[in-house]
Amino acid sequence: MAKVLLVVGARPNFMKMAPLYFAMVKAQPLEPLIVHTGQHYDYVMSQAFFEDLELPQPHHFLGTGSGSHAEQTARIMVEFEKVLLAEKPNLVVVFGDVNSTLACSVTAKKLLIPVAHVEAGLRSFDETMPEEINRRVTDVVSDLLFTPSPDGDENLRREGIPLSKVYRVGNIMIDSLISILNRIEPSQQEQIVQRYGLTTRNYVLVTLHRPSNVDEKDSLEQILMYLNRLAAQVPVVFPVHPRTRKNIEAFGIEASFRDAFRIVEPVRYREFLTLENHARFIITDSGGIQEEATYLGLPCLTLRPNTERPITITEGTNELVDMSNIEEYSSRILAGHWKQGQVPALWDGRTAERITEVIQDYCSAAKTVPS
Amino acid sequence: MKVLSIVGARPQFIKAAVVSQQMRQVGAKELLLHTGQHYDFNMSEVFFRELDLPQPDYYLGIGSGRHGEQTARMLTGIEEVLLQEDPDLVVVYGDTNTTLAGALAPVKLHIPVAHVEAGLRSYNRQMPEEINRIVVDHCSDLLFCPTQTAVENLQREGFQNVGRAGHSDTASGRCSWFLDQQRQAPLVINVGDVMLDLARQVNERLQREGWGKTDILGRYGLAPREYVLTTIHRASNTDEPENLRRILEAMRQIAQRGLKVLFPVHPRTRKAMEKADLLPLLDTAGIITSEPVSYVEMIALESEARLLLTDSGGVQKEAYFFGVPCVVARGETEWIELIQIGWNRLAGPRTEAILAAAETILREDFAHKPRPDYYGTGHAAARIVTVLSWFAEGRQQGVWGQSGQWGQSLISD
Repeated sequence: MAKVLLVVGARPNFMKMAPLYFAMVKAQPLEPLIVHTGQHYDYVMSQAFFEDLELPQPHHFLGTGSGSHAEQTARIMVEFEKVLLAEKPNLVVVFGDVNSTLACSVTAKKLLIPVAHVEAGLRSFDETMPEEINRRVTDVVSDLLFTPSPDGDENLRREGIPLSKVYRVGNIMIDSLISILNRIEPSQQEQIVQRYGLTTRNYVLVTLHRPSNVDEKDSLEQILMYLNRLAAQVPVVFPVHPRTRKNIEAFGIEASFRDAFRIVEPVRYREFLTLENHARFIITDSGGIQEEATYLGLPCLTLRPNTERPITITEGTNELVDMSNIEEYSSRILAGHWKQGQVPALWDGRTAERITEVIQDYCSAAKTVPS
Repeated sequence: MKVLSIVGARPQFIKAAVVSQQMRQVGAKELLLHTGQHYDFNMSEVFFRELDLPQPDYYLGIGSGRHGEQTARMLTGIEEVLLQEDPDLVVVYGDTNTTLAGALAPVKLHIPVAHVEAGLRSYNRQMPEEINRIVVDHCSDLLFCPTQTAVENLQREGFQNVGRAGHSDTASGRCSWFLDQQRQAPLVINVGDVMLDLARQVNERLQREGWGKTDILGRYGLAPREYVLTTIHRASNTDEPENLRRILEAMRQIAQRGLKVLFPVHPRTRKAMEKADLLPLLDTAGIITSEPVSYVEMIALESEARLLLTDSGGVQKEAYFFGVPCVVARGETEWIELIQIGWNRLAGPRTEAILAAAETILREDFAHKPRPDYYGTGHAAARIVTVLSWFAEGRQQGVWGQSGQWGQSLISD
């Protein structure tokens, strides 16, 4: 039985890994083992995800915690190398673009263990984003590359990666979204929305965490003031990352916000999906939420100069905005003038099955070659 | 301009030496960080002295370890220095774990990385070095390639911003060079091979300062153009006693035919020969063995040899720098252009093939054989430092990263 290590480290990885884990468990000849590097380790960020996704405890928890980039990467490398030497897997699967993705793919390749990258080929073409380096390096060392959309294939082709290694399988996060939302009864969803004092289709959900938005006083202040103004028209709910809350206090911004502007604690995944599902529209700077909004057909304003997920704009409901035009765009949404959008091909909840099939073939082909 | 150069293994000391010299000439502030990957103090020390390399400002003393572990310890050590020194950019060399950590640590802190010897590919992903090369190139802002082949490798990986470098006025022996490209990272430039710079420099010093090539040759009882210089150290040869035996047999037969064979023995090779009981093969009139020789001695010996027999990558190239033909005791080579043009011959670890290649070479007239400058003009380091200064200035003035050309700038080599 081929042993496959599924490596996760941070919140955006978990919901990409879960569907693959279950698909592999179902596909008998594969033995999936979960490795959690511990990059994101607090309860809401990590443990609650595992519960919401009904995942077993990780088979290996590396507990590397926070630290500077290099310290974190270094600890992940050391601990993951030990796991590799002990488990001798046939394949390592990494997800997305976090530090663990890079550290683990490089460590595995140095031990000559094949690597598969789920969510390959994404590019923002913004080299100042640490994620962009993580993506490029992971893709260039990987043996199997699973892309969510045709733009990913094209980016990889341009970087000289042989298309024989590339499989367009769709968006695995949508697998998670579908299965979780299906498991929450409509009445239960309503309760969750009510708990925040909100009503369906009558609030804006905001998520911001990028340093360029929340780590500089001027931009954070501008954004909060805008959201406060927006709350005069429609309630705004903003679950904040602990770091952002710290910034708000440290910058001394905490002015008197309207009651309709609710800055709340981080929300666990199933509740967050519910809030998304019922929102009027979304303001975000996160990658995955642009995709979820496109799938749900919700208008989405992305507060970034670029996106590594352009299909959410060309086919979906997403637009890039900055502080000079966000007001105009949100007015258009509230006036009901927004593009309809469509769900991109293969974003159908069956991505994990497709990946599993490819991996099965890969592992059985590899076995016939003496190692 | 404040530069942090990161070295750790023998080939990197050599490459950094030349670049370092140039940096001092233009008054750049260069800090040298030695990871200690090659921890043999004697070996490192010799290099620092002989190559006029400044003593490291930081020594991490990492030593050996598993790949991940070693890289990890370097990462944290390097990051600490980066945070303390806040250099304008980091320069890394070659393809070792030091290179890998030296690129990953700054890239995460948004400190630009320059890679010297970028774009080399063996296209064998079973080599850990190949992974290092690929990762480091994709982390780098400035990619200094030694050859056109390396540039093309990078173009295939999607690097589009390639500096055009050309020279003119070569007839008069002077060489000029210009750049013309977007002020954007990543930027790829063929600057030539720093190894050529150093080999030429050392050779000139040997001749000029009368360090006495004749002394060095005399020490082994050799006369110019009358001996074969041999180096064998690659695992594929030392770990396979039969391969080693075949190579030694070829050396024995060459010596029997009247050419002296000098064989400085790498410690690993000596151990392998002892273990496989091959030492008696060296008991042949005309075979002279020695301890490993220093870089300067090696240059002297290479430049005066009639023929080289080697499995080392660097030696194959150095042979060409000095116009000495070379038989390669390996099945493949990364310097394929030298095989194609006929200066070097691929024989593998096979007695007959080595002898046949050597005989063909000895019959041929190499004195008039063309020697294209695949590896540049011996001014790689000057070009590198010029580009580094431009880059640092451009960033300071805020024009780097903005669209527009650099314009044509002539550098007189």
